[in-house]
Amino acid sequence: MSDEKKNTADHIVSKDVELLKKALDASISGIIITDNNQPDNPIIYCNAAFEQITGYSRAEIIGHNCRFLQKDDRNQPARAQLRQDIAAGNNSVIEIRNYRKDGTLFWNELNVSPIKNSSGAVDYFIGVQNDVTRRKNAEEELKSNQSKLEQRVAERTQSLRENEEYLASIVQTVRESLIVLSPDYKVIFVNDHFKRTFKVSREETEGRSLFDLGNGQWDIAELRRLLEQILPTNNPVIDFEVSHDFPHIGKKLMLLNAHRIELEGQYKDRILLAIEDITERRAIEQRKDDFLSIASHELKTPLTTVKGHVQIINRLTAQSGDEKLKNAVSKTSLYVERLNNLISELLDVSRIQSGSIELHKQPFDFDQMVKEAADSIRQATNSHEITISGATDSQFNGDESHISQVITNLLSNAVKYSPEAQQVKLHLSTVGDYLKVAVTDQGVGISRDEHQKVFERFYRVKNIQQRFPGMGIGLYVCAEIIKNHGGTLWVESEPGKGATFSFTLPLDQAEGAADVR
Amino acid sequence: MSAKILICDDDEGILDLVDIVLAEEGFQTIPEVNSLNVAGVIDREHPDLILLDLWMPVLSGDQVLKSLRDNPATKALPVIVISASTDGKAIAMNAGATDFMAKPFDLDELVGKVRQHLSQQ
Repeated sequence: MSDEKKNTADHIVSKDVELLKKALDASISGIIITDNNQPDNPIIYCNAAFEQITGYSRAEIIGHNCRFLQKDDRNQPARAQLRQDIAAGNNSVIEIRNYRKDGTLFWNELNVSPIKNSSGAVDYFIGVQNDVTRRKNAEEELKSNQSKLEQRVAERTQSLRENEEYLASIVQTVRESLIVLSPDYKVIFVNDHFKRTFKVSREETEGRSLFDLGNGQWDIAELRRLLEQILPTNNPVIDFEVSHDFPHIGKKLMLLNAHRIELEGQYKDRILLAIEDITERRAIEQRKDDFLSIASHELKTPLTTVKGHVQIINRLTAQSGDEKLKNAVSKTSLYVERLNNLISELLDVSRIQSGSIELHKQPFDFDQMVKEAADSIRQATNSHEITISGATDSQFNGDESHISQVITNLLSNAVKYSPEAQQVKLHLSTVGDYLKVAVTDQGVGISRDEHQKVFERFYRVKNIQQRFPGMGIGLYVCAEIIKNHGGTLWVESEPGKGATFSFTLPLDQAEGAADVR
Repeated sequence: MSAKILICDDDEGILDLVDIVLAEEGFQTIPEVNSLNVAGVIDREHPDLILLDLWMPVLSGDQVLKSLRDNPATKALPVIVISASTDGKAIAMNAGATDFMAKPFDLDELVGKVRQHLSQQ
């Protein structure tokens, strides 16, 4: 080849190389070439994109082994893969964590191709790298989200299972029988208390129709009425009383709460049936009532004799005229009467509690009744003046003796708890559809936190027992009587400033308040 | 000739008290503690009025009263029931009592009722 020719050829080659270099620099992928024949396989070429991706300049790249891109992050599985492929003289495609000059991480999708000579030995490696950090991050994020989601599902499942066990343990611990029924009255679940009370096993109950249980012993007319007629239109049903004679366990008195699930979903229309066995409680209540009734009878019998003889003594002393004796006898009569009232009150409490107090309702002249009740208190006290103001002008339809008992009690309390005062006021009025009675004293008063408690049975206002003995029954009985007539009884008071006890009664029970007069 | 009054109560104290009070008022009294004897006493003594307790052992006052009302001879005999029982009045009136008095009673009320029912005969 002539020099000229060679020059021309060199020129052409050099022009082509320049062009190829420009092409390589135009690529957005980083490209390097390493010389496998030199020690430590140094980089002998890099394009502009490689400099841009790594942040290193050409001068810092040429002559180095590629590993400087991994900095201290050397234990990546991708490196092992790469080594293996290179040793076998194969193409290798890996994703590897690389670090820019400023230390920031980027994910490098690296494609390494060996360039072999005619004898098959590898002279060069060409590495093409792409910054896939964004894709990688998105993938990582997705993976992390997925694992977070899985973890949350696992946690929720665990929490649901715990919740279920927790609720089940509550259901099993309550001392009340519980049945869960399907909408067609098949038993889905019974709790332990049900099994114990009705002496059945889970196998004998769950999955079977309630009315078929134990040869139809649960086919109770009242229970059918509750489930088939009442519950569909009145949900929930509370305190539904059912009495039934069971073949093995005997007669049971049951208080039922039934609740139909209205919430949309898998449990809709299931029926929860809670059964409280009140057989024993009722029997005890009955025994207590009987006892109090007998006790009261037995106490009143000797009291009758005492009262009669005191009355005889009273007549005899009226003639002999010994003032001291007369005084003693009159005090005896007073306390015999008090004893009699206490016995009656005890009996009242018992009957109110068992709900057996009978109201004998009849229209009566309300104001006249109040006047008579006040007269009876006036006779018993000469320390206080009792004044009546206002009027209801009503014929009230109620139990006169009971309401009279309330007036008497409020007036005698007003006198009793205001020993230093001289006056007790009673005011009558009508307020809307109600009549109202207010009894005001100027006595010791009641602190605010006790305004509710004074109406509780056997409650006594603090530090009062020594000055004012009593059983804590009177106001309880009064409140119950007023409640039974559809009214309310309450107190307004401050300590040391007296008290006003008021009650209202609905006038719609009054039969024609206007036309009787 | 004063009226004859049979008093039947299982409690001696009441029996004694009523006896004293009515005797003082000039009545002839026949106290009887055992309700089983009432029928015999009536046959023998022909009382004008009976004061009868309710809660008595073996034969209760309302049982005595019912048998009296079933017998033509004693059907119209005034019987005043005296009881400390709270539902006594309803039981007594239901069994055919002429009147009822709750224990403890007032002596004037007792004498008043006795006179009233004797005069209505």
